[in-house]
Amino acid sequence: MTAKLETTTPPAGQEYPWRHEQRPGRSRITNAISAVFVAVLIVLPFLIDPIALRRTAGVIVLTLAVLGVVVATGYTGLISLGHGAFVGVGAFAMGAYLDLVNLPFLLALPATFATSWVIGWLFGLPALRIKGIYLALITLGLGVVFPSLAKRFPEITGGVTGRPIDSTMEAPAWLGADHTITYRYFFCLAVCAVMFWMTWKILGSRMGRAMQAVRDDETSAAAFGVKLVTIKAGAFALSAALAGMAGALQAVLFPFVSHEQFNVFLSFRLYAAAVIGGAGFVIGAVYGVAALIIVPALNSVVGLLDNDVLVFGVGLILFTFLSPNGIAGSVRRWERR
Amino acid sequence: MELLLQRIFDALFNGAIYASLAIALVMIYRATGLLNFAQGELATFSAYVGFLMLAPTGTAAAGIGLVSFLPGLPWPVPLAIAGAVIFGASVGGLTERLLIRPLEGRPDISVVNVTIGLLIAVNGLTVELWGTSARRFPSPFPSETSDFFNVGGARLRYESIGVWLTLLVLLGLLALFLHRTKIGLAFRAITANRASAQLCGIRVGRVLMLGWAVAAGIGALAAALVADVVLLEPFMMIRLLIFSFAAATIGGLDSPLGALVGGVVVAMTQTLVPAYIPLISTELSLLPPLLVMAAVLLVRPTGLFGTRRVERV
Repeated sequence: MTAKLETTTPPAGQEYPWRHEQRPGRSRITNAISAVFVAVLIVLPFLIDPIALRRTAGVIVLTLAVLGVVVATGYTGLISLGHGAFVGVGAFAMGAYLDLVNLPFLLALPATFATSWVIGWLFGLPALRIKGIYLALITLGLGVVFPSLAKRFPEITGGVTGRPIDSTMEAPAWLGADHTITYRYFFCLAVCAVMFWMTWKILGSRMGRAMQAVRDDETSAAAFGVKLVTIKAGAFALSAALAGMAGALQAVLFPFVSHEQFNVFLSFRLYAAAVIGGAGFVIGAVYGVAALIIVPALNSVVGLLDNDVLVFGVGLILFTFLSPNGIAGSVRRWERR
Repeated sequence: MELLLQRIFDALFNGAIYASLAIALVMIYRATGLLNFAQGELATFSAYVGFLMLAPTGTAAAGIGLVSFLPGLPWPVPLAIAGAVIFGASVGGLTERLLIRPLEGRPDISVVNVTIGLLIAVNGLTVELWGTSARRFPSPFPSETSDFFNVGGARLRYESIGVWLTLLVLLGLLALFLHRTKIGLAFRAITANRASAQLCGIRVGRVLMLGWAVAAGIGALAAALVADVVLLEPFMMIRLLIFSFAAATIGGLDSPLGALVGGVVVAMTQTLVPAYIPLISTELSLLPPLLVMAAVLLVRPTGLFGTRRVERV
């Protein structure tokens, strides 16, 4: 791929706000916060009842989808307002692999990952020519159209009503059937951990640096030998595959898929969570999802609002003004002091 | 043949709505290079405010405090629509002043974030205040089932004609504003070259605030007019926004004429493709315009009528 002179470059002062340092650094505060998160995740099943656990876990696995937004938007500069669609792709693919192909869970997951990867890669190809705000438009369109598109394939998606997935993950006999939800929960945590580790490694590698170079200045990146096709399509593919895994895990936790779960407001939530958490940081995805859990929980206690999506809209605006690098950026600034 | 004619007439109504929204988007894009993703939700909210001026009852009356100070409520439909437009325009101007102008010099993605945030927040507020149930916003034009001209066996509804007349009057007023007033001249100067305009003493901030107000007013008008057909509900404008984005993109984001053409093209594909290609159901009508939009962008990244940009390192 030769560098084309017509490729866009943002004029001075147009860089993405989250530009500095993306390599996981050694820092006490972030480490301490991460340790607290891990501790909470481990004790959580013993604190709340299975129904609440399953609901919370459904949001926790969304961390992977938010991580997907971080990879695409924060690291590579490809604005995606339609990641809810990729979560849906993952959930439907998982359901299809389990029921229609009869794969076991441990094979269905990688198959789902690969499927979402390929679909994301296909969507990443137009991103080579469609840039910035236009890409935001196309992805927003994808997010809006996805539920109606899903309804057209009833044998996979269950059409209008949705579809229960027949093969469900049960706890092994030595654990007892009472602990099925807890078992699924830890299974999901393990998958999330593997995905985080993999993303972390990729972002710290040559590819991760190339992604940031593309984000900061596409033309100079190409001039320095970064292959734009590989990097942009690859970043979008990775990002979609992560979102797909979130969907697959949701299908593991709660074996039912329906187009209604994957509407455009899911995409908005994921985008808001990424920006609020800190789109330039891997840990930003964790902070963002923590907000997705804490805000509704607080709201159910206070009972002020019927729909908490309002909070995320206001949060998105406030964070853009006050801390464009999100919570992770603020923590980092605090550490440097 | 009659059926085809009928479908084209049906598409014309939507075409006018998409075209007017697209023109509002294009106006802002030309002057600032920004897209207002919250345009649709602000318009929905304004339409609800207009609805409040029409003697609402029960749960529909929430937030009545926004309008209760007005004299002579309930108002007739055209006056309520005018009220919605004025409300929308004020909110649009305020948005520019409070949320967009302070971000000057910040990366474009900040503005994307803020307008997306506004979209989510305003939608949340609409649901919070008025719930999700759909309401009928009466049309200002004769819209009974018998109100149509018979053209070659197909029904050309008065409502479609009314909406098109409104659109044409709107375009005329916009052209008058841009070409016959001093502020319009200033707006065009900013569109042509913002820095030079500023150096000439044009108060860029104020003019842009007015531009955002006009765009939001057009959006509110479109929402109020379409609310008779798609019904007034919090999510009514999200699909419409995508359609009008598609219209604007197909036409080229910086060409008002392109927006008009794009609006009609999108409405035609939306109506005709599901009618003749059975694979695509009516519900999937969003897909063809999106595919057309993606195809246009792939071939000409700045749209059919848009100016090409040369980029430098």
